[in-house]
Amino acid sequence: MGIYEIIMDTLVFIFATNPFSPWIRGVLGGLVIGAVFAGALVMVYLERKFLGDMQSRIGPNRVGGRFGLLQLIADAIKLFTKEDIIPAKADKWLFIGAPIVALTSGFLMVAVIPFDYLYINGNYYAVAVSRMDISILYLEAVSGLAIFAIFMAGWGSSSKYAVLAAFRNVAKMIGYEIPMGISIISVAVMAHSLDIVEIVEAQSSIWFIIAQPLGFVVFFIALLADVGRIPFDQTEAEEELVAGWATEYSGMRWGLAFFAEYFHAVVASFMITLIFLGGWNGLPIVGNLYIPGIFWVIAKVIIVMMVFIWIRAALPRYRIDQVIDIGWKVLIPLALLNLVWSTIIGLMWA
Amino acid sequence: MIDLQIIPFAIISIIMIGSSIMVVKSKEVVHSAFHCVITMMGAAGLYVLLNAQFIAVVQILVYVGAIGVMILFAVMLTTRNQEVE
Repeated sequence: MGIYEIIMDTLVFIFATNPFSPWIRGVLGGLVIGAVFAGALVMVYLERKFLGDMQSRIGPNRVGGRFGLLQLIADAIKLFTKEDIIPAKADKWLFIGAPIVALTSGFLMVAVIPFDYLYINGNYYAVAVSRMDISILYLEAVSGLAIFAIFMAGWGSSSKYAVLAAFRNVAKMIGYEIPMGISIISVAVMAHSLDIVEIVEAQSSIWFIIAQPLGFVVFFIALLADVGRIPFDQTEAEEELVAGWATEYSGMRWGLAFFAEYFHAVVASFMITLIFLGGWNGLPIVGNLYIPGIFWVIAKVIIVMMVFIWIRAALPRYRIDQVIDIGWKVLIPLALLNLVWSTIIGLMWA
Repeated sequence: MIDLQIIPFAIISIIMIGSSIMVVKSKEVVHSAFHCVITMMGAAGLYVLLNAQFIAVVQILVYVGAIGVMILFAVMLTTRNQEVE
């Protein structure tokens, strides 16, 4: 029994067997949200640095030493000190509410993300803020709330650019939620469960990226569209729409709206890791060396984040009509095909 | 001692009643749509209080995620003439 287990044993005593455990769980939830927030900060920094590398630039290199480590803090201070402008014609409640709804949807998603699954004193414990029987359905439902944030921002701004971006976003989302839902259902069929912990446990022999590669491709593309990253960032196409739905925002409100997107991207990396890349199931290459599951999860999440950044550097942006074509004419048939495949394989395994 | 569940029930009910009145009363059709969405989410909260998590999540998925977005899509395609005086 290593140090890791002793620490986890103490944590289990504090969180699971204590009469105050609901309150402590709330504190844990705050900590996990903070950790994912830090993850989003890391992603912003990595994105600026690696995009710089890929485009033969240097990237941030002034604030905080050679690698610009304090650049984000400088940016945050700048955003806090800027004037907070609300346009005179804006719909005030929708305008103020939009960043709040965007971040809330991200925070709610974090609640069911498991980081590890520990066997301690004859019991299994999932290291998660909350464990639900239907956590994957919950993730899908709550991630859909982010559409409202963009719509509120776009409509509330009373700006043509912002409204166009909101229109595009709703049209895009109607098409892309369906293949995403179908590929999640295929995974649930194969794992015989809607619980993310059980889905990851079902991947202990074979990861779902190998068992249903088509589903992975569909899910990955739909998720890229869901978090609105290149090549699906028509909602904030700089060349056409200034800054899309965030055109009229300034100061920290813009900062929150911008940050909510990265928060969603990090949560999306967690979803890909847990649903298709085996979560805390390690690769056999490490042999007998014991590596705690949480490190596997974080390593895979960082790899997925790097792939997001790499795609952003490599691909141009689609036109909005092409995006909708891809969603309805390609992804949905492929997702249905994958559902058939995973049902057959799932029944054979059962 | 009264059941503590009455407190979240009362809060959710008041929000639901208020927002469903606002669906009918508000001048702008977009506000009506958003109040409608809030009412539907309140219904999901009531299902959670009844310890029916699955139906609560499906309520959010179907009514908020699909029908709510469809209502907004319809609102988006209508004109905004009433507001320009």
